[in-house]
Amino acid sequence: MELLRVEALTLAFGGLRVAREISLALASGDRLALIGPNGAGKTTFVNLVTGQLAPDAGRIVLAGEDVTRMAVAARVRRGLVRTFQISRLFRDMSVRDNVLLAILQREGRTARAIRHAATDRTLVAEADAHLERLGLGEVAGDRVGAIAYGQQRLVEIAIAVALRPKVLLLDEPAAGVSRAEQPRIVAALAALPPDIAVLMIEHDMDLVLRLARRVVVLAAGALVFDGSPEAVVSDPGVRAAYLGSYGT
Amino acid sequence: MGLALGIATDALAYGMVLYIISIGLSVTMGLMRVINLAHGAFAMIGGYLASWGLQSLGLGYGTAILFAVAGAVLIALPLERFLYRRVYGTHDPLPQVLLTIGITFAIIGIANSLFGPTLKPIPLPEIFRGPVDLGFRTVPAHRLVVIAAGAAVALGLWLLVERTDFGIRLRAAVDDARMASALGIRTDVIYAAAFALSVALGALGGVLGAEILPIEPYYALRYMVTFLVVVSVGGAGSIGGALGAALLLGLVDVTAKYLAPEYGEFFFYLAVIAVVAAFPRGLLGRA
Ligand SMILES: Nc1ncnc2c1ncn2[C@@H]1O[C@H](COP(=O)(O)OP(=O)(O)OP(=O)(O)O)[C@@H](O)[C@H]1O
Ligand SMILES: [Mg+2]
Repeated sequence: MELLRVEALTLAFGGLRVAREISLALASGDRLALIGPNGAGKTTFVNLVTGQLAPDAGRIVLAGEDVTRMAVAARVRRGLVRTFQISRLFRDMSVRDNVLLAILQREGRTARAIRHAATDRTLVAEADAHLERLGLGEVAGDRVGAIAYGQQRLVEIAIAVALRPKVLLLDEPAAGVSRAEQPRIVAALAALPPDIAVLMIEHDMDLVLRLARRVVVLAAGALVFDGSPEAVVSDPGVRAAYLGSYGT
Repeated sequence: MGLALGIATDALAYGMVLYIISIGLSVTMGLMRVINLAHGAFAMIGGYLASWGLQSLGLGYGTAILFAVAGAVLIALPLERFLYRRVYGTHDPLPQVLLTIGITFAIIGIANSLFGPTLKPIPLPEIFRGPVDLGFRTVPAHRLVVIAAGAAVALGLWLLVERTDFGIRLRAAVDDARMASALGIRTDVIYAAAFALSVALGALGGVLGAEILPIEPYYALRYMVTFLVVVSVGGAGSIGGALGAALLLGLVDVTAKYLAPEYGEFFFYLAVIAVVAAFPRGLLGRA
């Protein structure tokens, strides 16, 4: 089932064309890696799809609904979830409260604003279950700012999962993580709910080959390749894009 | 002994008035990162509306407070939606300062033309007027009401921010608005609610504190700096910090005016300078 369709998405920052008629579709169960040289426009693409940036032209359709003009939060509530290239978490809150907040949002409990999530046993149990699954049970009560960076990246994944996305956009989920911590991130990504559609920006071809079943390459704002992870390594157009990027 | 207790009650009452008004400003400055010089003007709107309600509409004291708070919020919300929202968190504070000082003068002008350039009395109900015997001495009932109201506001705000689902969303939006919206939090709604709360507290403080800070046409300008000072001494966005700052500055100011009235505001600002020099982020400011 198709969950996300992007049609001819276009954006320029002044004279810099960062998205050139990008079209892409994601179906339930897809595991797509988005790769490309630095500054190719990968993060910008995610920002366009999630609504942080408004496109100059093009359309974004989420599970059959046109969301092109919808606010960020409204898209999240419809199941379009992203993580950030540089870890963003509520650093002064506990690990558990970060996940609780995601659950709270998913449940849309604004009407009962006077209730307190941290005293709701079912919500706390669910938050702890998400954390246990990623091996974060020990640090659930710690302040996010105080735990290791690798663990923070896992918390971001826990939050994304807790939001129960239909489509999950991961912007370099393993960036900044040490070699030693990487296997836990890979395991967490491999264990994402099978039916959701996942798009992952990743530089490390090792990870791409392990996690993705399809790869698209973005170079200077344009899609230049869409195919299997095995084929991408030997594709001459992709090589040219990567080499060419150093010339500009 | 009697003098000391007299100073203490007056200082506590004055500190609580400063607190109720300034905590609203602390909310907007700490959370939305906007220097709202018009905060005193919202307190003044509260005072004007309460006075009008009591004097001309025949409302009771309690109803007049509700009328003032609700009226101030209704006036402020469109300003938030169409003006303040443009300058939240701007890198350069100058547009915020110019915008909010403009709003202040506009409000002063409108208030003057509608209600005339005179002091606006807010007569207290009979029960708040008389003295109350505390055993060791008597104090005006109004002072006790103000102190109790300040304590209730502090407790209520703490519960709201730390113990409710709204509070956790608010803290999230303050900490990282982009991440908050990535979780589906409607930060615009949170900001509007926090702004409304801020104005409501300002108006409440304006009415309750009218015995101490009288409502007059230049109220919004006269106390602008005082409220700002409480926020910076306490640390913008800190509920406990603002309480500590308001009580400390209230104590310094009242004591100095009892003992050395000829110095005017000297000791008040001396204390401000000392605290800001020792704690540049305020007593309990965020890093
Ligand atoms: N808000 C902005 N205004 C102007 N230019 C921008 C803005 N955001 C990004 N850019 C530019 O757009 C281009 C694409 O940036 P983007 O962050 O999308 O690249 P990326 O593919 O994610 O790169 P990286 O691999 O380094 O993360 C870059 O040249 C960047 O400098
Ligand atoms: Mg990027």
